Amino acid sequence: AGAVGSVVRRFLAEYGSGTPSRLKVLDAYLLYVLLTGALQFGYCLGVGTFPFNSFLSGFISAVGSFILGVCLRIQINPQNKGEFQGISPERAFADFLFATTILHLVVINFVG
Amino acid sequence: AGPRLRLAAAFSLLILFAGAQALAPSHRLTDRDLTRLRAALERPFADLQAAYYSIVGLSSLGARVADEKAACRFIKSHVDSSSVDSLFYAAQSIRVLSGCEVTVSNETRELLLAAVSEDSSVTQIFHAVGALSGFGLPLASQEALTALTARLSKEENVLATIQALETASYLSQQADLSGIVEEIEDLVARLDDLGGVYLQFEEGIETTALFVAAAYKLSDHVGTEPAMKEDQIIQLMNAIFSKKNFEMLSEAFSVACAVGSLSQNRYHLPVIIVPDGPAAVSHHQPVLRLQVTDVMSRPLTQASVKLDYAKSASSKATVLQQTAFALSGDIFELNFMNVKPASGYYDFSISVDGDKRFIANKIELKVKVSTEVGITNVDLSTVDKDQSIAPKTTRVAYPAKAKGSFTADSHQNFALSFQLIDVNSGAELIPHQTFVRLHNQKTGQEVVFVAEPDSKNVYKFELDTSERKTEFDSASGTYTLYLIIGDATLENPILWNVADVVIKFPEEDAPSTVQSKNLFVPKPEIQHLFREPEKRPPTVVSNTFTALILSPLLLLLILWLKIGANISNFSFAPSIIVFHMGHAAMLGLMYVYWTQLNMFQTLKYLAILGGITFLAGNRMLAQKAVKR
Repeated sequence: AGAVGSVVRRFLAEYGSGTPSRLKVLDAYLLYVLLTGALQFGYCLGVGTFPFNSFLSGFISAVGSFILGVCLRIQINPQNKGEFQGISPERAFADFLFATTILHLVVINFVG
Repeated sequence: AGPRLRLAAAFSLLILFAGAQALAPSHRLTDRDLTRLRAALERPFADLQAAYYSIVGLSSLGARVADEKAACRFIKSHVDSSSVDSLFYAAQSIRVLSGCEVTVSNETRELLLAAVSEDSSVTQIFHAVGALSGFGLPLASQEALTALTARLSKEENVLATIQALETASYLSQQADLSGIVEEIEDLVARLDDLGGVYLQFEEGIETTALFVAAAYKLSDHVGTEPAMKEDQIIQLMNAIFSKKNFEMLSEAFSVACAVGSLSQNRYHLPVIIVPDGPAAVSHHQPVLRLQVTDVMSRPLTQASVKLDYAKSASSKATVLQQTAFALSGDIFELNFMNVKPASGYYDFSISVDGDKRFIANKIELKVKVSTEVGITNVDLSTVDKDQSIAPKTTRVAYPAKAKGSFTADSHQNFALSFQLIDVNSGAELIPHQTFVRLHNQKTGQEVVFVAEPDSKNVYKFELDTSERKTEFDSASGTYTLYLIIGDATLENPILWNVADVVIKFPEEDAPSTVQSKNLFVPKPEIQHLFREPEKRPPTVVSNTFTALILSPLLLLLILWLKIGANISNFSFAPSIIVFHMGHAAMLGLMYVYWTQLNMFQTLKYLAILGGITFLAGNRMLAQKAVKR
């Protein structure tokens, strides 16, 4: 227990100091999306799947947003600059917005 | 060509043998039908064409118009000298009426002669030639023929060809009419065969009838037998005579012409052979009577009617052959009972001769010979099951009823035996229906059994109470016994109350009441189950969850504040404002889409907003990149 605790503390310290604030903002967003999706899933387990399309649309929205957020984070992380030569952070953000728009369109269509 | 020809010959021989039984006419014109046809033609004249139909139609049937003088006056007053059609109707009508004359002016003659040319239609040529012939005016047959042939090659339809046949029958025989005569064969090929029974043009019965009349008229005129086979003629007759009601005068006229031509022409005379009454003979009515007529129901008293053979339908043994029918008035008779035939059905083959022109003159007829049945040697007995006591037999004579009653119970069976004979010949009979009916007097139940003959043709019936429990529903009581004998060839079917039989079934099986199986009582009602709505959580729970789901958003805002999200670089450049407004509008559009719009509308608005946002965002991000 002590070993796990010290690892976690070390991780948090490293994270707090070594991560640019831009990425931290994104990480907060990702956490938010994760919690929302988990809450939705838990609710569905609790009260049942009716109406199923609404649950799916909400859950897919959470999952999809999380994935897009992760992609954005990877692309704007300065440590990965070498792998994304042609894609500036602005471009990555624009892609993120575009993909999110399409995701929202599909989700709203399906939610019923 | 050699082997082909041989094959064709062999094939046609096969067809000949297969078709040895010629088709029998299925339709004919009875006297009533002819009266109706005449009545249809005897309507008062509406116009000149109607007058023509009535006058010429009636003359084809051998009748005359009621008032010939009035008819003549009508024609004279209604003829239109400038119309070729009108002149045709007038000319042909006055030809039939006696003592009716119409003077024809030179102009009329010129008009008619001018109409006989290649430029007129076939109908015009037909009417012109017919009018000239009817008025007795000279006509150049060869030129008319040339015009007709030329015109016919342009108008290829059936009606025009039929009219060409009629026209040719007015032309002199010195002209070469063989080309027109060949058209008969072509027309026959165009007839539609309906089920092997009818042969008619797709244009209808009227056209078919006109064809028959025209074909025979031309054939008689030219002296060549029309190229029609016997079966085809009979099929044509069936089609034409199937029409019994005539609404249009032209229909009645066409059928009358066909009937007239079929009853007198030089080549084919169809014969109608019909039994007079039912085709049945018996001892009371030993004579088979036949009506032998032409198509107009006129008796052919000059013909000789002969029975080729009479065979029993069941045993195929020939009972009589080569016997002539005797003429009695208008009916041909044959006393069939002279040969003392056994009762049953016989196949008669009858042929009518006397004129080479006869067709359809061989027919097959099914004749029934009836007789009367007698029941003899009727023995009623009770047979002991243990065979210990000798059976008691009572003899009963038809139609008396046996005195006393008979009992059938667990110890003894009831038995009935009898013989059926032909009263007139003494031969044993096996009718179709030999039933024993037992009727319960109290409950109204009835049970019917079949009495079977044994090898010696003695009918036996035995009632064993233990075997027959189920048929009777074990209802004991007094039953009346009837014997039912029937057959198509019996003149005296029998329903005979023979005796009373007391039947006792073992007590334990007796039902308390006789249950009638009623099918018509109301059945149990079916309740409809409506689809149950899905179970939903209570509103409290879902509202709580909605509030709960917003909590991560709160967390996010707190975290962002803590991290220190940098909003200080927010400058009020137009592109930035436009971008943020556009983005917000797109999210708002999503909400509106959820509540009101459909996909097409949304896409339209999204395209507009997205475009604006994209341009603004592009500008904004580019500026940001430059700053960096």
